[in-house]
Amino acid sequence: MAADAAPEPKANMGQPVPRLDARLKVTGEARYAADFPVGNPAYAFLVTSAIAKGRIIRLDTESARAVPGVLDILTQDNTAELKEVKFGSGGASTSIQKLGPEIAHDGQIIAMVVADTFEAAREAAYKVKATYAEDKPSATFGDEGLKEEDATKVSERHKHVPKVGDADAALASADVLVDAEYGTPTQHHNPIELFATTCVWNGGQLTIYEPTQFVYGLKNSLAKKMDVAPENVRAISPYVGGAFGSKGQFTPRTGLVALAAKKLNRPVKLVVTRDQGFTTATYRAETRHHIRLGARRDGKITGYSHEGWEITSRPDAYVVAGVEDSARIYGFGAVQTKVNAVHADRNTPGFMRSPPVVPYIYALESAMDELAARLAIDPVELRRINDTMHDPITGKPYSSRSLMRCYDEAAKAFDWSRRNPEPRSMRDGDWFIGLGCATAVYPTHVGPAAARVRMLANGEVQVQIAAHEIGNGAYTVIGQMAAERLGVPLSSVKVELGDSSLPPAPVAGGSNTTASACSAVLKACDAIRVRLARSVATTDRGRAAGFAADNGQEMRADLFRRLGVGAIEEYAEFIPRGGKPDAVKQLYAGQVAMTGGPNGEKLMYAFGAEFVEVRINALTREIRVPRIVGAFAAGRLMNTRTARSQYMGGMIWGISSALHEATEIDKARARYVNDNLADYLVPVNADIDRVEVILVPEEDHEVNPAGVKGIGELANVGTAAAVANAVYHAIGIRIRELPIRIEKLLDA
Amino acid sequence: MPNATFHSVATSVAGWSRRMFLTASATSLAVPLFARTSRAEAMDPQTARAKDPRDPANLALTVNGRKHQLALDARTTLLDALRERLGLTGAKKGCDHGQCGACTVLIDGRRVLSCLTLALVAEGRAVTTIEGLAKPDGTLHPMQQAFIDQDAFQCGYCTPGQILSAVSCVEEGHAANDAEIREYMSGNLCRCAAYPNIVAAIKQTKHSMREG
Repeated sequence: MAADAAPEPKANMGQPVPRLDARLKVTGEARYAADFPVGNPAYAFLVTSAIAKGRIIRLDTESARAVPGVLDILTQDNTAELKEVKFGSGGASTSIQKLGPEIAHDGQIIAMVVADTFEAAREAAYKVKATYAEDKPSATFGDEGLKEEDATKVSERHKHVPKVGDADAALASADVLVDAEYGTPTQHHNPIELFATTCVWNGGQLTIYEPTQFVYGLKNSLAKKMDVAPENVRAISPYVGGAFGSKGQFTPRTGLVALAAKKLNRPVKLVVTRDQGFTTATYRAETRHHIRLGARRDGKITGYSHEGWEITSRPDAYVVAGVEDSARIYGFGAVQTKVNAVHADRNTPGFMRSPPVVPYIYALESAMDELAARLAIDPVELRRINDTMHDPITGKPYSSRSLMRCYDEAAKAFDWSRRNPEPRSMRDGDWFIGLGCATAVYPTHVGPAAARVRMLANGEVQVQIAAHEIGNGAYTVIGQMAAERLGVPLSSVKVELGDSSLPPAPVAGGSNTTASACSAVLKACDAIRVRLARSVATTDRGRAAGFAADNGQEMRADLFRRLGVGAIEEYAEFIPRGGKPDAVKQLYAGQVAMTGGPNGEKLMYAFGAEFVEVRINALTREIRVPRIVGAFAAGRLMNTRTARSQYMGGMIWGISSALHEATEIDKARARYVNDNLADYLVPVNADIDRVEVILVPEEDHEVNPAGVKGIGELANVGTAAAVANAVYHAIGIRIRELPIRIEKLLDA
Repeated sequence: MPNATFHSVATSVAGWSRRMFLTASATSLAVPLFARTSRAEAMDPQTARAKDPRDPANLALTVNGRKHQLALDARTTLLDALRERLGLTGAKKGCDHGQCGACTVLIDGRRVLSCLTLALVAEGRAVTTIEGLAKPDGTLHPMQQAFIDQDAFQCGYCTPGQILSAVSCVEEGHAANDAEIREYMSGNLCRCAAYPNIVAAIKQTKHSMREG
């Protein structure tokens, strides 16, 4: 019965044990941020700007203050003591942190009401009246007043983009050239858990309950915001109700809640409304791409040029710059790339699941399909012809790469051979059938981490690390790592996560959690093994030779007796190869430097291949996806059950990107229109049919000690291209701007 | 205690849980909670209700077989009453607009969106939340066990709503096949997108629920 959910492990894969937190999650006992009981909380409600650009001339709070139960209203006039937190990774989500008078985007926080009840706070928030001097905003591409900059000159994270050879010359002399433009829309993460913050002061100690992908970042940023020492702040977030990148940085609301709680000397609880979440946190900005891809008649690519444009806010140059990855995935020959930051009157965008590769690989993999069609070469074979084990930019080797194995296994399961390459050639009654494929790729990241592991004589194990459970199965796979190394059943292992009083782990971003956290836990467990082994070595050489992690309870008890201790506890710090010596110290301070991807001596990437069947109704143009098959290779898998679920969820995200999701913008007001879950379309159960995941074995000891590549972001990369390619095959037209909806197919 | 309310819940979530609810009703301790009102007022909610909706209105909520006396702002939703006043945080706020399903609870055995239901509307009716679904001895409802077996969640935030909705989906007779399950589970969003596993969990459970 559970065969689908719990795939049989293949080589280098862990057991599909159920999640350690499963019972808590099915009984409602798992405590998310807004679930923590606090004594006598006051309730907060945000007031946000109704204009996108201009100034607040007057803020009238009189009638709001008259609402019974209102305790305080924070505005620009009484929040000056809040300090600025620097924008960037491990820091603030935006430089726009003040409540006015300047307004830099629609929905900017301009006030926060605090009252005895949620109902009173909400009523009063609607009674706060702002008078504005409004300027005409620039909303998005095509508008007047945008400011375009070369991203390498303004982005902190992207100082260089890949370039090799003379791409213009290679493209000019190519036998076949694809020259196309692509676009991706604004998207909002929309985790089902809202952005919630509860702050409690106890003397000078501040405890914050907020869903976060980085408790140490939250702790340190909040300390900066409040101008207190970091040791006086504790961030608690044991369960995160979905994040997808939206809960990794410090947002402007948090300091307001802490300040209100301090002023009132009472816990304050804020649950940001769904629509306010669209503007008070981050999002995936819309992008535009110009790709030129040139090849010889035999399919060998000789030149690749990719220029991207990404919308960002006025003050912050946030770009994802996915050419960093896209430029390395095939043996391209000559490559030139450029990324442009396009400043508009919008809130600052940020990390959203697979940030760099989702838009850039969508564009590249669409162009690859166009090239295959132009060459009359099977799309899978085109990838095979251009497969590479080396970085086309630097010549560095991949640490491992199983792309074509993924293609072959997925193609077989999907029965790709039935595909008639001619577009609009396959039909079932009123339905056009289209089959498409694309590559999934994600850089392997690993960061520094620290862990504490305690083992008792009876075999009970306690693991402490401030990693994050965001649905990734972190409790489970970290527990499995400890159980495996210490030779105890998983049921003997207790895992504590998501609390800044535990040893630090990196931000749960870039799919690094398992690699980083498990590497630290592994190190601490091995230190315990060494201590046990030494106790044998000094007393019984014969038995020392036979010591192994899977020894029985009797021997363990004996070793503890010889050592004369009740428990062995080890604290370990892990710094990945290429990491700085003070990386863990920096991590304690809320700063994390990842290594991996294209930056080391070898390229470290996980790959996959996805095949999609679409059906398009000949009369209505309704688009359905009856089947999607993905095969993925990402080093060691700790748990085939949680891995399959993450891949499956990722592929559904990809379908969503292709067919559903887009934040619509009112261009005149630079305002998000569909800022709710009824109008912001994400798949519901009825939208999803057969989703098949193939786990391809792969072993890679170079990526990190745990040998894992990270899987949370791999599977929703390339999916949108696979769907778009299938749509082309079904109906014969290329849709180069996502999402693909019925109205775009009416002329076909 | 109006036993009729227990009966209607028990009937609608099948014999397995009927026993559970009857047990719960016999063993639960009703702890009256009076806020800012006298006992006399609380005893007579009709006369105690004031005209200004902000003034606390007295009401009795029966949740998971336990009766609670509350004095609430009349605008309080059932979701906020459960979460903020009764400490039952299993029901989640995902949109507060009836769009996501995370707040799904059962009222008299039928699934409802507690964020679109005023607490006052639930008075005198039997409310079941995720905390009341397992047996008092901790034995999970078959649907809860199936969600574990089929890994039908990742972050777990939408899960209480999904499970209660799934129980109703089966009870309503809307679990005949995959397509019907998908359709009748489409009011509950799962952003982690565990949908295929949720369908599998319902298929696993629909027989055991009837047999139980």
